[in-house]
Amino acid sequence: MSLAERLERYLTRHWGTAATIRDLSRIPGGASRETYRFDAVVEGQVKPLILRRDPTGSLIDTDRRLEYLAFQSFHGRAPVPEPIVLDMDGAELERPFFIMSRVDGGAAASPFTVQPYGEHAQAIGEAFFSALGAIAATDPEGLPLTQAAVTPGSGESWRVALDHWAGVIEADEQHPQPIVRAAIRRLRRAPPPPATAVRVVHGDYRTGNFLHDGQGKILAILDWEMVHLGDPLEDLAWAIDPLWGHYDTSRVAGMIPRAEALAIWSQASGLPIDPAALAWWELFSAVKGQAIWTSAAREYRDGGFKDPVLAISGWYTARRHDEILADRLMRLEGLS
Amino acid sequence: MTPSLPDILVGNFLCFAEPPPPESAGEFMAGKVGVVALLSLLAAQEAERGLSARVWENAAIRAVLTEAAQAYGAAFAEAGAGADVDVTLSALDRTNAALRRSLIALHEAVEAADDTTRDHAILRLYGAMAYARRLDMPPLPGR
Repeated sequence: MSLAERLERYLTRHWGTAATIRDLSRIPGGASRETYRFDAVVEGQVKPLILRRDPTGSLIDTDRRLEYLAFQSFHGRAPVPEPIVLDMDGAELERPFFIMSRVDGGAAASPFTVQPYGEHAQAIGEAFFSALGAIAATDPEGLPLTQAAVTPGSGESWRVALDHWAGVIEADEQHPQPIVRAAIRRLRRAPPPPATAVRVVHGDYRTGNFLHDGQGKILAILDWEMVHLGDPLEDLAWAIDPLWGHYDTSRVAGMIPRAEALAIWSQASGLPIDPAALAWWELFSAVKGQAIWTSAAREYRDGGFKDPVLAISGWYTARRHDEILADRLMRLEGLS
Repeated sequence: MTPSLPDILVGNFLCFAEPPPPESAGEFMAGKVGVVALLSLLAAQEAERGLSARVWENAAIRAVLTEAAQAYGAAFAEAGAGADVDVTLSALDRTNAALRRSLIALHEAVEAADDTTRDHAILRLYGAMAYARRLDMPPLPGR
């Protein structure tokens, strides 16, 4: 039975009325979920939808329930698609999945492109950092996400995050990585001050993980698979990591100057930015990146070398983050 | 570092070896072709620079280990002894893995001893190692 037929069978059972699937097509890109666009025709109405299904091999193991609850938490508060249904058992689709509404007419920029936002970079940058600030401003209490997300203490969020990603490197490393290990030791020796507030952390908020209309407007914030509660500076530092810079060192995320991005975020979030804390989270971001790429390399090998996205992640981006890590370590010692 | 150049090139073949299901034959397959093209471009750089980068890195780590042996123990001199005779990628990587483990141990000892001079020398080595192993992604037209 084809995936379209299985999906049709599932939705017919779920909605209790006949559903027809058409134009089912896998979307390229992310390696943490299989993503498909399709239309479901139900009682004469066409519903444009997205299916996110667990892969057989993944860039990083993530919790699809948390991702789904994040969509429930922010749909209506931010440009976030409406979640429709989550099935943790996989049912007819064999692997855990969820379905959400589809936002058409937008584009997601590849991190490997130059000037992806063209003359609208300023407007996109203002919207991008403002939206991130709005996420950070949201009190998590009462959000659906808190049904499953663990709330760390304000003084513990850094340790929880670092322990997690250092553990990923420990588990998945296939070749010794002295640079990231030096960074992990440094982060432990000099922890940041307690988080000003414990808030929702998207976990992968960056260029490429949102849809824009090509005219300076953000249509949808996507890819919440690494969502958790923690220090909101984690998201800010990740968003401005040089890996997502689109080859432009004068602007962050290929959008706007760094100082402007930080000011917009701070105003939208209502939270101050401690430079020392942000510096800690920026070094952490490169460690987190290296952990993700280390897992990708492991999955590439374990999956029989068949997913080229895992190859790029485990190879090119891993080496790029080694450069970023080494540079940050030297800067912190006044060596560059 | 993983994956190796042979892993990448074999993978570029294997990822097209099986016919895709119908829902993955259009946009998804076009995206896959684009990623494989990028991998091929980067593989050309690795084919040109990968061997010399490994030979250089192994020699540089040996020099740091040997220099530090008097202060930090003869084990580092032993770890830093030898030379690369077999210069295949796999042999160089096996040697490199052992050298990197010793470098990690040395750096931990240097940090514990507050030995700033050697700490900075090792950090500079890290910068040089990352640069030697770099892959230059060409800027692609944006959208």
